[in-house]
Amino acid sequence: MELIAELETLGVNTTEALARFMNNSGLYVRMLGKFPAAVKDADVLTHFQAKDYETAVATAHTLKGVTGNLSLTPLFKAYTDIVALLRANEPDKAEAILTEILPVQEKIIACIEKNS
Amino acid sequence: MNNAILIVDDMEINRAILAEGFKDEYEILEAENGLRAIELLDSNSNIAAVLLDLIMPEMGGMDVLKHLNENGKILHIPVFIITAESSEKMLMDAYNLGAVDVINKPFMMNFLRCRIGNIIELYRHRNDLEDIVKEQVERLSKVNLSMVETLATLIEFRDCESGEHVKRICGLTEIIMTAVTEMYPEYYLPRAEIEKIVTASILHDVGKIAIPDGILNKPGRLTKEEFEVMKQHTTRGCDILTQIPSVMDEDIYKYSYDICRHHHERWDGRGYPDGLVGDEISIWAQVVAVADVYDALVSPRVYKAAFDFDTAMKMINNGECGTFNPKVLNAFNASADKIRREEAVIENN
Repeated sequence: MELIAELETLGVNTTEALARFMNNSGLYVRMLGKFPAAVKDADVLTHFQAKDYETAVATAHTLKGVTGNLSLTPLFKAYTDIVALLRANEPDKAEAILTEILPVQEKIIACIEKNS
Repeated sequence: MNNAILIVDDMEINRAILAEGFKDEYEILEAENGLRAIELLDSNSNIAAVLLDLIMPEMGGMDVLKHLNENGKILHIPVFIITAESSEKMLMDAYNLGAVDVINKPFMMNFLRCRIGNIIELYRHRNDLEDIVKEQVERLSKVNLSMVETLATLIEFRDCESGEHVKRICGLTEIIMTAVTEMYPEYYLPRAEIEKIVTASILHDVGKIAIPDGILNKPGRLTKEEFEVMKQHTTRGCDILTQIPSVMDEDIYKYSYDICRHHHERWDGRGYPDGLVGDEISIWAQVVAVADVYDALVSPRVYKAAFDFDTAMKMINNGECGTFNPKVLNAFNASADKIRREEAVIENN
């Protein structure tokens, strides 16, 4: 399971995730494979740029749930903060966090796509 | 036994985790939005629990909860809200719509399996108990009816004409009571009450058990003294009923008592035993009174031949059998066709 080992180095808590998947690592890998498409469907940045914060918070909320369940810990933390900041009416601070986390997200996606 | 879990979430990743966690113990049904969830809820009767996301395309979780409230299933199927910490207001709304618990993302599968398993077990017990109570209530009402019928059979043994009479009184009471409650809003009663009154009407003559044979079955006209004894069947009936109230349904007892005592009262106050006037007499006693008189007219008795239907209707409307409430008479006349049919059915049996 190269993918799992490599994700560890990117801060993904694979031990926690595997427990959630009842130690079915095959299923975990299969669901990780769905993540890039899920992110493409949920393009938070576009909504920020359009200043559509209502859709942005809904989308970030969806990604918070998925990244949490896959234990993509750095992304989960970022989306948790983004949702909270948007709800607190602080879109600028939220966008700053998004900008910071997007490269990390790209790395994780690249890693998943390379290994599948 | 209900053994399926319905997982409703638009993200396949979230559904897959929950499915993996529950697939060994339960059949798994999956829906990617609220519309599909409702379809599955309507077409599957074995769903033990619903794990429901709130925000989804097509139809969200709130509308699924509303649907389950409308059809009453929310009382029998526990619904868990899946959320990555939604707003407090939204969760409160979900609880108010009957959701039992909230599942937070990321899932903690071991806890989740315990929590959901426990609640499914609780609901199973509750649903089983409801079934048992329902069954017992049905059995109890059967016991009630059979006891009432037993008492009525006792009268039949004393008075050979009364067996068929009791059956016809039930049928007539049902027909006239339905008509009067439909035609006159002031006399409206729910269907369930009418059914109790019909059952209670069986006992209207139970007091005849206490009337001596010589008077009860006398072929000729009763003397004034004999008639006074005969009139006592109303109050003696009540005496009998007071001995048995605890084994009878409270409402049926109440109606039986009233009908027993007052089915010989008349609208103008010239009836017995209490000489009640107008609506001092309950509507059910008034209805049984008309039914009783009609049936006596169209039946042969030891002291008279049977009158035909038209003659009986005419005699009642002319006040030859005492004065009745004009509204009850209207309902009675409006039911003439039904009454004729009822007569034919009983004769054929």
